[in-house]
Amino acid sequence: MAGMNAAQVRDQLKAIALVRWEIFLHSLQTTRGTLELFSRIVIGAVITSGGLGGAALVGGFAWYFVSHDSPELLALLLWPVFMFWQFFPVMATAFAETLDTSNLLRFPLNYRSYVLVRVVYGALDPATLLGSLWLIAIALGVGIGAPRLFLWTVIVLALFGLFNLLLTQMVFAWVERWLAQRRTREIFAVLFFLGMISLQLIGPMMSRFRPRSASGLVRVGGEVNIAQRLLPPGLAAHSIASMVHGRIGASLLTFAFVGVYALVILRFLSVRLRAQYRGENLSEVTKSELVRHGEGVRAGWDVRGVSAPIMAVFEKEFHYLSRSGPMLLTLITPIIMLVVFGIGQGRPGTGFLQNKPDFAFPVGAAYTLLLLTNLVYNNFGADGGGIQFFLVSPAKFREIVVGKNLTHMAVLAGEMVLVWIGVSLLFRRPSLAMTATTIAGILFAAPLNLAVGNLLSLYAPKKIAFETFGRQRASQVTVLTSFGVQLIVFALGAAVFMLGRYYRDLWISAGLFLALAAVSFGIYFVVLGRVDGVAQRRREILTSELCKA
Amino acid sequence: MDIPAIRTEHLTRRFGELVAVEDVNLEVASGQFFGFLGPNGAGKSTTIKMLTGLLAPTSGTMQILGIDFEQQPVDVKRQIGVVPEGMALFGRLTGAEYLNFVGRMYGLDRETAAKRAGELLEFMQLADQPKKLVTDYSHGMQKKLALAAAVIHGPKILFLDEPFEGVDAIAAGTLKSMLQRMIARGATIFLTSHVLEIVERLCSHVAIIHKGRLVAQGSLEELRAGVEAQAASGDGDQLAPGKKLTLEEIFLHTVGGVRSAEQELSWLG
Repeated sequence: MAGMNAAQVRDQLKAIALVRWEIFLHSLQTTRGTLELFSRIVIGAVITSGGLGGAALVGGFAWYFVSHDSPELLALLLWPVFMFWQFFPVMATAFAETLDTSNLLRFPLNYRSYVLVRVVYGALDPATLLGSLWLIAIALGVGIGAPRLFLWTVIVLALFGLFNLLLTQMVFAWVERWLAQRRTREIFAVLFFLGMISLQLIGPMMSRFRPRSASGLVRVGGEVNIAQRLLPPGLAAHSIASMVHGRIGASLLTFAFVGVYALVILRFLSVRLRAQYRGENLSEVTKSELVRHGEGVRAGWDVRGVSAPIMAVFEKEFHYLSRSGPMLLTLITPIIMLVVFGIGQGRPGTGFLQNKPDFAFPVGAAYTLLLLTNLVYNNFGADGGGIQFFLVSPAKFREIVVGKNLTHMAVLAGEMVLVWIGVSLLFRRPSLAMTATTIAGILFAAPLNLAVGNLLSLYAPKKIAFETFGRQRASQVTVLTSFGVQLIVFALGAAVFMLGRYYRDLWISAGLFLALAAVSFGIYFVVLGRVDGVAQRRREILTSELCKA
Repeated sequence: MDIPAIRTEHLTRRFGELVAVEDVNLEVASGQFFGFLGPNGAGKSTTIKMLTGLLAPTSGTMQILGIDFEQQPVDVKRQIGVVPEGMALFGRLTGAEYLNFVGRMYGLDRETAAKRAGELLEFMQLADQPKKLVTDYSHGMQKKLALAAAVIHGPKILFLDEPFEGVDAIAAGTLKSMLQRMIARGATIFLTSHVLEIVERLCSHVAIIHKGRLVAQGSLEELRAGVEAQAASGDGDQLAPGKKLTLEEIFLHTVGGVRSAEQELSWLG
């Protein structure tokens, strides 16, 4: 904006950084905030250790490629970095840092500062930090292998890093635009899901249709190589390799192409940011419908013996699930994944499930439960302000929780039936013992997850905003606890399965799982008995967290 | 003697060092249309949240229709209807589904819930777009739906937190008409609002809270007489002779909200 000098702009940026810092400090004043920080440190340590291991690996390979006169192979390192940088934020939104920059628009912030704030805060996610770390490691590896190339490598990789940063920002800026309206949100969710499935299909398709002869492999490899050299990771690698071979012109040209890619991405990003900067307001208005007078309101669902509040919550949860594309698609993922893995079955020995088809049903069932935890661990997230209604209504909180848990169990049961049918068609029909053991295993794992989920939903609630589906950060306490619970359940499950295999009698495993299930149900009912008290004590936290604008 | 609809004794709520509501003794008789007023941050929302079970008091007691809220919260909740600050809607249901859901949560059988939901949608002029989700409703439509949900079980007391905020004149007319019908049938209504003209027109009794303490309570005439008596004794601001005080004037005199011009920001253009 005209009228703001450089010093004022600097002050604005400092003020924004300060306000973020103050928000962070204030969040530590509550137990929940401290727990969030602790969980973030633990998760951060895990990610960092993985990142450092990766850095050592890519740095070592970079040194090896350059010192063994194969600098073109640097593309083999830049491609994974590129893929990780772009796909990790999509796959693991729980770790993404979010900042609603629309709040800044009322201040006299110039466009350049707005873009800077947006890009800098958008860069504070593990993908960018790890991607940058790995590029530094590659530069160091190249520098050690060929010291005279170090400076040029740094320049090329810096531009490549900037390209990645802009691309991530551009993708999310456009995704947010599409997610802002319900209809486009649903369409986008379906396209996103199909895209993810297509990616999953690459492996099995390659397994099934890979060239049978060496010459065929070379031909396909050559075509892939040509294609990848036209894209930024290949161009960046080519630029460094050309410099190694003294082809300065080619090196500069490919470097320039990376720059062109970055500029094009910046242009697309700019279109979005300009619109946001102008203060666009995407409304949710839908076409009006025809008036249908005289059409009565349909009575709610009813099951004899189940109380009205439980049935009302059960029905409401089904309506919610059926109207949330992302949630619905998450729930049908296990079936799709079975189909994906089943495609590779033409080649025995190509994968775990092809070698051990007996395990297809338990693996599918476990995956189903794992995905369901997305819902279970944040029971009230989708209700948002509706939590106030639960608190003022005369229904007991345990009835509300039971209604929600019944929905989860119904979904789980339905999916397990589909998984069983899918396994029978794609692999082979699971034996009676395996079926019984798997069901017993789920009877152990599900109530435990529900019990923990019910508590976490009350202790670490997080509002789910459907319009920012792709950029939402789950409660870090929930993420960490979920890891812990899944680890325990998986370890116990594996031990029980192995015991049955050791004695060559899976019915032993089924029996043990049933015994564990009895304990698990006990825990569930103990937790259920305390839900009303916990909800009463935590009502202020629930309303303040879930009713946030 | 009739049991009061709402009665609080020494009701207090602290947030750490801050005392949001202090020693409030409130009494609302059955059948009253009661306005609860106060400047921003005075403690109105905190009080209504405590009275509806959204917030626990630090100390003091609350009785709704003679029932102790802390001891028998479920019994109290059955008797009341609430439109809280955020309206407490479920955005991904249609209006009919939402009302049906609320009715059943209050223990209505499925046929009754469906019948009342249909009638309320018609009355509130929300029946035209049956497949529209609540999240797609305008603000005024959401307010009307929230009020419909609050009355579906036929509550004896209705708590409304800023029911007219952001509502256009047409929707406000529908809401007022609904509230007046309820009063005519013996219900008690407790509302907070910043729109003093509406409170003056609707409410028979008013309480004013200021800095967490109840500073006035009674019928409009009683409050008016109080302010006039205060002015006559020289304790308060002087009043124009022969002029009947409006609720806004009573309010401003009670909370001392008039700021002198000299105090205003001199640098402001």
